[in-house]
Amino acid sequence: MNLEFNEDQIDTLKEFINISMGAATASLANLLDAFGTMHIPKIDICNSNELAQKIESTIDLKSMYYATKQLFTGRFGGECMFIISEDSAKNLGRHLYNVTTPSRDDINDAVIELTNILTSTIVSRLTQELNTQVQFFVPSSQFIDANSIVHCEDVSDYSKIIIISTILDFKDQKINGNIYILTKDEAIESLRVLIDKRIEEIYG
Amino acid sequence: MKILVVDDSKIGRMSVIKSLEVIKPDAEIFQAVNGLEALELFRQERPDAVFLDLTMPVMDGYEALKRIMEVDKNAQVIIISADIQNEAKLRVLAAGAKNMYPKPINDENMVQIFEQDLSL
Ligand SMILES: [Mg+2]
Repeated sequence: MNLEFNEDQIDTLKEFINISMGAATASLANLLDAFGTMHIPKIDICNSNELAQKIESTIDLKSMYYATKQLFTGRFGGECMFIISEDSAKNLGRHLYNVTTPSRDDINDAVIELTNILTSTIVSRLTQELNTQVQFFVPSSQFIDANSIVHCEDVSDYSKIIIISTILDFKDQKINGNIYILTKDEAIESLRVLIDKRIEEIYG
Repeated sequence: MKILVVDDSKIGRMSVIKSLEVIKPDAEIFQAVNGLEALELFRQERPDAVFLDLTMPVMDGYEALKRIMEVDKNAQVIIISADIQNEAKLRVLAAGAKNMYPKPINDENMVQIFEQDLSL
């Protein structure tokens, strides 16, 4: 199995994520009536035992987080994870429900609503760019500390993992979070085939 | 006709160039991978039109647009971006861009750009 990506494949994947994140940011900008700043996505291909460390390096280890995971399957399958700190989630609850002190339930609802729009828009738009389709599973959300975001049992069956990461950033509202799309082994190979087809179409 | 295509992504530049080759096959095309490179090439080559991405390292498209308009207030800049927020469009139009299109751009967009947005 070839799990390596060349420069053109990484460039293409990055650009498709950029387009997908653009669509998701616009939907959330409508929901929040705010302006989101776009960031350049990052692509990391690593061994599965490095996953926890890679994710921990992008967040503040002292904070508590709402972590939402949504699985999707199809020719390109994987997991879309959204991580938002407790402070950001509070700001989201405040902003969305227009209250000074949102309850834990308000915050939870707000995070789930935002995550649903975010992950489904990103993954749908990405699969549209890749000319394929996926089925979504129901997302699950947890309120946890930074060290518990990645569990060993999540990754133990895989050798390689692609981490596609980007940032959701509504500066004025102080709402930001990290998005990771994780895809493993066989799915990496199908992803590469799908990307090659699109490169062929655009370069050809 | 000289055209400058600016995008940090190669596939982003290629999709613009692919449409340009259909609609304006005689155009001389220059490429830049960030705003700073774009600004230098703009000064050197004085292209008739610029296709500019927004999200880029080193110097983003907002800053590049501002600086290009400072060099030539009549510069003809079209923004091609993944950012499809209304406010992004309002910002670039206020800064002097002729129009903004969502990525990926297609041939119909390119026809419209040359027929309606650019005055060449
Ligand atoms: Mg870009």
